[in-house]
Amino acid sequence: MTDTNTTETNPETDTDTPDADGEAAIERRDFVKAVGGMGALSLSGGIASTLLDVDWFGGDGNGVGTEYGEYEGSDVIHTTCGQCNTFCPIKVRLADDSGSGEYSSLVRKLAGNPYSFLNTQPYAQVPYGSDPEQVATGDLEGTGEVDVSKWSLSGGRICLKGQAGIQTAFDTYRVRKPMKRVGPRGSDEWKTISWEQAIEEIVDGDDELGHDGLRDMWGYAPEDEVMDDWEAVQEGELSHEAFDERYEDVLIDTDHPDLGPKANQIVDVGGFRRNFIRNRLWHQGLGSTNSIHHAGTCGVSGVVGFNRSHDGQKQRQYPDVENCEYLLVWGTNPMVANKGPTWLAPKLTNAIQDGMRMDVVDPRLSKTAEKADTWVPVKPGADAALALGMARWIVEHERYDEEYLRNPGEDAAADDDEPTWSDATHLVLVDEDDRPKARAADLGLEADDPESFVVIDADTGEPAPADEVEEAVLDVEITVDGREVASVWTLYRERVFEYSLEEYAEMAGVDVDLIDELADEFTSHGKRAAIMAYRGPSKHTNGFYTTRAISTLQHLIGNYDWKGGQISPYAGYETMSGRYELGQVPDGHEPWGIPILRGGVNYEDTSLFERDDGYPAKRPWFPVAPPMATQELYGSAADEYPYGVEALFIRPYSNNHIMAAAGGDKIPEVLEDEDAIGLIVSSDTVLGEMSRYADYVLPEPTYLERWENFGTYPNKRLADEKISQPTIKVVPDARPFEEVLIDIWKELDLPGVGEDAIPDADGDLWSLDSSEDFYVKLATNIAYDREPVPDADDEELELFRTAREKGLGEHFDLEDWRGAVTDEEWRKAVTVLNRGGRFEEPIDGYEAAFAERGHDYDYAGRHPETNAYDGDHLRYQLGTRVNFYDEVAPTGRHAYDGERFDPLPRVEDVVHYNGEVQVPVTSDDDPERPLQLTNWKPRTQGMHRTTGSAWLRETKGENAVWINPADADERGLENGDRVRLDAGRRSVEATVRVTGGIRPGVVGTAWGFGRQGGGATDTEVDGERTPAATEGDGHADHTSNTPGEDTGGYATGRDAGFAVNHVQPLDAELGDVGLSDPVGGSNAQFAAYVELERVTDR
Amino acid sequence: MSTTDTPTAAAVADARADLYGLLAAALDGETDVLAAAMRDGSLVDVAATLPVGVDAAPLDREDVDEEALSIAFDNLFVVPGPRYVPPMASAHRDDPSESFESDSPFHEEGTAGELLGDPASTMASLYERAGFRPDRGDFPDHVAAQLAFLEATARAATQALESGDDDRAAQFRSLQQKTLSRLGWLDAFHRHVADADTDGAYTALVALTRTVAAWHARDLE
Repeated sequence: MTDTNTTETNPETDTDTPDADGEAAIERRDFVKAVGGMGALSLSGGIASTLLDVDWFGGDGNGVGTEYGEYEGSDVIHTTCGQCNTFCPIKVRLADDSGSGEYSSLVRKLAGNPYSFLNTQPYAQVPYGSDPEQVATGDLEGTGEVDVSKWSLSGGRICLKGQAGIQTAFDTYRVRKPMKRVGPRGSDEWKTISWEQAIEEIVDGDDELGHDGLRDMWGYAPEDEVMDDWEAVQEGELSHEAFDERYEDVLIDTDHPDLGPKANQIVDVGGFRRNFIRNRLWHQGLGSTNSIHHAGTCGVSGVVGFNRSHDGQKQRQYPDVENCEYLLVWGTNPMVANKGPTWLAPKLTNAIQDGMRMDVVDPRLSKTAEKADTWVPVKPGADAALALGMARWIVEHERYDEEYLRNPGEDAAADDDEPTWSDATHLVLVDEDDRPKARAADLGLEADDPESFVVIDADTGEPAPADEVEEAVLDVEITVDGREVASVWTLYRERVFEYSLEEYAEMAGVDVDLIDELADEFTSHGKRAAIMAYRGPSKHTNGFYTTRAISTLQHLIGNYDWKGGQISPYAGYETMSGRYELGQVPDGHEPWGIPILRGGVNYEDTSLFERDDGYPAKRPWFPVAPPMATQELYGSAADEYPYGVEALFIRPYSNNHIMAAAGGDKIPEVLEDEDAIGLIVSSDTVLGEMSRYADYVLPEPTYLERWENFGTYPNKRLADEKISQPTIKVVPDARPFEEVLIDIWKELDLPGVGEDAIPDADGDLWSLDSSEDFYVKLATNIAYDREPVPDADDEELELFRTAREKGLGEHFDLEDWRGAVTDEEWRKAVTVLNRGGRFEEPIDGYEAAFAERGHDYDYAGRHPETNAYDGDHLRYQLGTRVNFYDEVAPTGRHAYDGERFDPLPRVEDVVHYNGEVQVPVTSDDDPERPLQLTNWKPRTQGMHRTTGSAWLRETKGENAVWINPADADERGLENGDRVRLDAGRRSVEATVRVTGGIRPGVVGTAWGFGRQGGGATDTEVDGERTPAATEGDGHADHTSNTPGEDTGGYATGRDAGFAVNHVQPLDAELGDVGLSDPVGGSNAQFAAYVELERVTDR
Repeated sequence: MSTTDTPTAAAVADARADLYGLLAAALDGETDVLAAAMRDGSLVDVAATLPVGVDAAPLDREDVDEEALSIAFDNLFVVPGPRYVPPMASAHRDDPSESFESDSPFHEEGTAGELLGDPASTMASLYERAGFRPDRGDFPDHVAAQLAFLEATARAATQALESGDDDRAAQFRSLQQKTLSRLGWLDAFHRHVADADTDGAYTALVALTRTVAAWHARDLE
């Protein structure tokens, strides 16, 4: 301690030093006597008497402990959490004593990574150059002391789900060996086989199970070659027979070559390791276009809706929390999810404390809504009515930023210090069928760029290229050069005025006054207001339009890139390029053909349109969305539409569609059918719902045992790049799927693996034989981006080696890792790996500032030299046009009736593929049952993938059904009653939670429960039966049976509760899957109507 | 001196608790307490037992004008006027704290003199950790709050010692040590009070407080 206030009180400077014990004893005796003689004590004793009541060290049970074990930097490996899709940077503290299991090391504890700002909020991260040894031991200057400041940056924040990752890795139900099914698919009977046998049978087929191998299934020919010949056939220059003969072994259907090569019938359902498995192995190695991830069962309609509302990459909505004055959270729960628990939750609570107003739109009083100024329990599915109601109020009251909206281009915006501009003034060719925006050439204008958008110049009143005008006219409806045009603003205005405020309010189920208040508040803070929206409004069949409606509210105030406004960019570091071109495959294939999920392709433009007599198409197409309507895969495979699936490779740890898709309960019927899908290979950590129906299940490492590069978030002020790396090895025979694929690809002699697979920056080629060959290079690319990271010194290299030898034991080979890059690069790669990624520092000269001022200072927000802001703007910017009008949407047509999609936001019902109304919004249809069923991510579960953790099941044993007291009274229900939930096609039993925290007329529950895999079923391997973990376990002293009152209890069984997606309605036309948004591609997951009835006596 | 005359550790701790309690009350504006102690001269008697000389004379008055004492207290420690000496540790730091800078719209970065700075944060953490809620002082780093905490921990240590629970007593000694190590600001506080105090009573009171704390700190070394 050095400053004047915290110097040790030093009696030497103030007193004469007593020189003998006896003298000291005299002092004490006299002192005690003198104090005892103080008459005034009786006056001052009033408070003293109460001191005896102090509950010393008792507190609220959240006191700061001081008991800890010493450990070293080499006991720590930094990696990334995979328990939910927040993907927090974490610190793995290896156990001191790793016991005698077959695992390489136990884990003592998981915590947040102190190098990352994502896990140190509200404090500042440790400087990137900090010595890992000092960081791990808490000895780094400025990191605080646990016993005084309650915080030390030797460990960062982690949520309860993250802590339970230990139970994910050390789950008793882990798949330990490659397994082959014994009985029919889904019979839960298996035998173990060797890796060699598994790979051989996958490649060459197996008579025992009667499936073909990939060698027979695979076929590929380049698109140009095929389509040139096909054109020759059309023109009579080549006979169809010759074409058939040439391509029958490589094309799916020589009558429909646009379906693409047979490789497309080999389908990957994964998600994680996209850069490696999807881009590199599946697309370029195999030449298959079908590598699918979770998007359709997640928020893809939201992502597409956000994306189309901005010219630059913007797939999410997040506020610049620290400087935001008004935040409208819409259908998302950042205290619990959506990159929230460790990163956003502390920022939001501090912002609220500092005066930010937050309102929350959600049918349920979520953990975020609990902290809101106003809770807006909107009617599920009717969010667009609320958004357009707000828009109407804002337009009527002229509360939009007119100056912003009148800027037609970048230069005009820059003159006003605006990083972005809108298309409000741009003209649309309203006389054309698909109503594109007018380009200069369309209207006979001379322009440097004939593709320039056109506006009416406010100075001249004449049409002009948008980028040559300083200020343009908003309201336009005229004829130019013989063409009818209207401004985007005019069309948008017409759209928002289609309904009155009263009508919007009635549709949304809220009061008009509330719409007034929200719109007024939203437009009362200049640029310092923002919206954060995600799955709630988007997981409906109208999700795309609703997301568009919400997006345009922010266009009205132009808050992008402003301090306190909307934050956008995915600020990160280069991963796939730089020192190594990891995305390039020499002599690789180029995938082509119609994706099996029919995304990005217009039905009308395919050969199937004519074959099937036009509309309606047999199944939906998603012409203006990416091919990510995952929920469509299984029905499509069964219908062989547009073609069949020969082999399905699944990684259900991240893509468990049976649980995640609305109507996922219908998927097993397809998976059981060997005619529908000839070969199913699963790489899984446990026998999840999907894996139970596989022919082969291959043991996959958990996220703590393998490599990954999870994407960064678009909600940060600073750049970062996370890296996952193996920290332990729990199942010795588990192999990361990418390594298995490398072996299979080698057997098939496919490009992109083995020798000469990866080009470096000099054009030299490197081999790809292991995960390390890819990921150490990826770490190197990160290290060299921008200003390269410092070299790891000898001590750091030694720490790197020691830590991995502790964690991975014999499974770590330093030479293999080091050999993946050059000697020069290795030291920088180690710097990145030792820190679990790369994290931008909040200011230049951070190390010195941190040592002086410590962690308890908001450098990014307060320091004058911050890297987060540039004046009143965010440093990382969207910096592009924002779109009220989406030109792309009307280029697509609905595959049922050929109607064009709408370029503007709109309010509409939630409907089936054939247009039948499921959730009325604009119409007056009556639902079949009275209560609308919504659902949410539970606070205590990451995904279905975390329900194997007994710790988490102790905190919340099952998913109670929330019901409003008014609805409960009507049905004679009390809190804790068991009920039958009737969803029409299915009924389930559940426990009710009676609470005012849900909108009347709506009931809801958490998803993630009702498992039928992952240890929830009996399994037989090599004749030995493993019973299901359905009886529950745990160590708490009571059971939890009163929803909302008990805070924990014995862990319930892995099958506890019910699967909410399995009571969702099936599409009326398709009958085998839930409803889908035909524009954005999302699976509709809030569409069920139910009735509740008590089933047990009290 | 025989060893039987040596007071027990419990007795010393109890006496310290009494004294800290009185000082805390006096420095929290309870002028009746201070006036009573001045009238009977007991503070001077206590000062005389300390291993260093403290000029406690201004605390020995038979005729105490309680109202004048109260006005002096207010002008020194309450009213932010020309004689104001903030009785909080944060105000006496040369180096402004970071948390203070982050939250206050009224403070210019880099200037000293503040409320609720790092010392307040540190003391609040210490109180919270111990489960203690100070009733004295308006701020966690107010001298009266810190003295009240010393009083409470000394009283608790007394009980622990009397019941033979040495481990628990050590816990309280540790808390005292941490608190005393954060009372270094009393030096500056004393100087500023001496400069501003026209009467001398509070200067002497703060001098006594500072010396008592220093002696205690040395005992705990």
